[in-house]
Amino acid sequence: MAGGLEPHLEALRRELGGPAVLSVLIALVAVAITFLIWRFVQGRRSSRKAVLLLGLCDAGKTLLFARLLSGRYRDTQTSITDSSAVYRVSRDKSTNVTLIDLPGHESLRLQFLERFKAAARAIVFVVDSVAFQREVKDVAEFLYQVLVDSTVLRNAPALLIACNKQDVTMAKSAKLIQQQLEKELNTLRVTRSAAPTSLDGSATGGPAQLGKKGKDFDFSQLPMKVEFVECSARGSKGEEGEADLEGLEKWLVKVA
Amino acid sequence: MLDFFTIFSKGGLVLWCFQGVRGPAATAPVNALIRSVLLQERGGNNSFTHEALTLKYKLDNQFELVFVVGFQKILTLTYVDKLIDDVHKEFRDKYRNEFQQKGALGLLNGTFDFKDDFMRLLREAEESSKVRAPTVMKTFEQSLKSQKTVKCMIETRGEKPKEKVKNKKNKGSKKDGTEGVAAPSKASAGDKQLSAAGDKEELTKDEILQKNREEFFRRHMKAGEKSRSPKPDAQKEKGKKPRVWDLGNSNAKVLDYSNSATNGSAEACPVEEFDPDMALGDKNREPGRLYDLEYESDDEAEEEKVVQNPSKPSVKKGGLGGMFGMLKGLVGSKSLTREDMDPVLEKMKDHLIAKNVAAEIAVQLCESVAKKLEGKVMGTFTTVTSTVKQALQEALVQILQPQRRVDVLRDVMDAQRHRRPYVVTFCGVNGVGKSTNLAKAGQDPGSQDRGDGISFWLIENGFSVLIAACDTFRAGAVEQLRTHTRRLNALHPPESHGGRTMVQLYEKGYGKDAAGIAMEAISYARNQGFDVVLVDTAGRMQDNAPLMTALAKLIAVNAPDLVLFVGEALVGNEAVDQLVKFNKALADHSMAQTPRLIDGIVLTKFDTIDDKVGAAISMTYITSKPIVFVGTGQTYCDLRSLNAKAVVAALMKA
Repeated sequence: MAGGLEPHLEALRRELGGPAVLSVLIALVAVAITFLIWRFVQGRRSSRKAVLLLGLCDAGKTLLFARLLSGRYRDTQTSITDSSAVYRVSRDKSTNVTLIDLPGHESLRLQFLERFKAAARAIVFVVDSVAFQREVKDVAEFLYQVLVDSTVLRNAPALLIACNKQDVTMAKSAKLIQQQLEKELNTLRVTRSAAPTSLDGSATGGPAQLGKKGKDFDFSQLPMKVEFVECSARGSKGEEGEADLEGLEKWLVKVA
Repeated sequence: MLDFFTIFSKGGLVLWCFQGVRGPAATAPVNALIRSVLLQERGGNNSFTHEALTLKYKLDNQFELVFVVGFQKILTLTYVDKLIDDVHKEFRDKYRNEFQQKGALGLLNGTFDFKDDFMRLLREAEESSKVRAPTVMKTFEQSLKSQKTVKCMIETRGEKPKEKVKNKKNKGSKKDGTEGVAAPSKASAGDKQLSAAGDKEELTKDEILQKNREEFFRRHMKAGEKSRSPKPDAQKEKGKKPRVWDLGNSNAKVLDYSNSATNGSAEACPVEEFDPDMALGDKNREPGRLYDLEYESDDEAEEEKVVQNPSKPSVKKGGLGGMFGMLKGLVGSKSLTREDMDPVLEKMKDHLIAKNVAAEIAVQLCESVAKKLEGKVMGTFTTVTSTVKQALQEALVQILQPQRRVDVLRDVMDAQRHRRPYVVTFCGVNGVGKSTNLAKAGQDPGSQDRGDGISFWLIENGFSVLIAACDTFRAGAVEQLRTHTRRLNALHPPESHGGRTMVQLYEKGYGKDAAGIAMEAISYARNQGFDVVLVDTAGRMQDNAPLMTALAKLIAVNAPDLVLFVGEALVGNEAVDQLVKFNKALADHSMAQTPRLIDGIVLTKFDTIDDKVGAAISMTYITSKPIVFVGTGQTYCDLRSLNAKAVVAALMKA
């Protein structure tokens, strides 16, 4: 039997040994490897290159977007759809991030968040420091929804809470905003998990517990890095002057 | 005359703005427009009033732009629509390069210096709408009448009764031959005018009869005109005696009109040539006269005009053009037109109505989606159906997302801190499940109705509840609440909650004033330290004016924190009527500047509909308030909250 096979094997070996066939085989393997590498690299590159600008209505996201990209002041209206553009992070580094400005209106914000959350490398949550006292519950609720989202928890993008509109005298400081948000999120944890479950069984609060049980909520308990920064998209010198965005830009450099 | 004209992108950047007559800033009214119209999917008609301004808008879905013009409400400017269209075209063509750049950089960096073009277009539009100087009347010498001879103007009897009737615009003519014609035509003209002026949809039986009768006469008039006119003449000659006039006892020949003017020869006067033209002219001008053939031709003429007007490249019909269009559609550079979307939208509208969405809301929704998609460029390999379905799905999810925060527990905690009770009022029509969902208590295995109500949920979270029995009308209402209260107390005895009774019933029997009981209940709760007061009112029909007044009074006087409208999920078109009338009653009878309207909706009997969940859409669309609770009634955990995505998925399921 071995004898029967041997001539066949010899014939095969002779065939395969031919230089043409061998080179073809090698070429195929090379192409396959290149393809796999290319796919892998592109996958890495295109996933999570976005920085999302979130926040309530009238927080100043679109103006912030315009200032970061063009440096000029633009009049803005309530956004209905998202806007995205590539932002060059700094002059020496050549890394780019895609800045995406999402609408803040209640009926749109969750839809757009769903669409873009998987691609988020970092999230900038813009807060209106002047109206914060009035809106603290709404701000906390939106922030809570962002934080308990399963995709966000899994990817843990860096989170920056930008306290905008600091050019107005009545603006609250970042420290105060942080304290108030922590207190509010603490309460929300309890009420949201006790809310009636939705129709098909998926709970609104999610099984995810924000922070550690038993202890008061603190931003340091989150799996992602959270920073607070003060900024002013309009700028203290009015519309003609520069915007006060240093902290934000530095953070973007760090994150990119 | 315009207050302002803004052009901004859908992403929020204002590209160009024109501030007209010392008007206020444009941002606030435009924001109001965006929030109430575009985001609530009410974009069917393109105008919107905000305080003293009327705003007209146009969407460009291809480049994601919005054009808004605002002017004073009291003015009626006729050129505004045309102006918007012209500006749209010009702006788009001029800055096409900036728009076609990927991302928002084109919009950010481009300068849009549109002022000169805009002023030119505005001037053109204003001039085209100016009233022309009144035409000077012709002198008698210039008119045609002076050129006619007297003889020509004498109309002979048999030939021209029709034209004569038309010329005189149905002034009662005494001729027999024409009376028969005149009467139905006069009546039909009057009828047609009425029907044109009034509702076009209502073609009552009488009007249909009238129309048919008129057609019948017309058909026979044409045929029997010639034959009819000599007949009555013959009859007249028999019975009529020659009248003797004092004046003019001229010979009978002149007075004899029976001779048909067959000598329409050389002396044929210009009147003959002109009359048909004038008649035709009259025919077109009379609003009531719509003969069958003319009706159709008018329609065709309109259709032709409509097709020619839009400057967008229309889809070419015909063999080669059709194939080309299909290829273009595959590649993805085809823009959506109204004609493409209409069949799909019709189907979607019927589908929605089959799923129990109220009919007018389905229509408005489809209109709004059409407006949002018109002119949009489709992506590669997407069909019209899929694009429309996608847009409709997004619109439905948008509607169901609450406009305001909905967190009862959070608000109760707030009220707790301020040491006052949180008052919730339940209102609705008869038999929707107010008392049941309010007071149902837990898991008694032997009982028929299992499951949790709202008070049970609140007690589980540690809040003490006072139930105010303000349903003083229905027999057994107070007893029902008392039974539930007793069971709730058995499930959550005071010992397990630090010695205080978790739930108590406040009732004053039957036949008393509900508003008074509510007020006493609230002060009792404040004294005793209850956290929540649930006020149960009697069911009432929305058309019952005195009961609606009573409800409005209850709400206005007691100022509850939350007014919940309880509606059942089975309701169809009625939902619209109920909610509108309830809101109206609350608004009318409230003294305050901003009246308390319905704050939220409780949808009950949700388990009785499997996937015909349209009632949820109807209710949220009308009030733009969220659905706070959903009562299902069959599973353990009866009180649910609404999951927007699941509801929309159930709606869109085939």
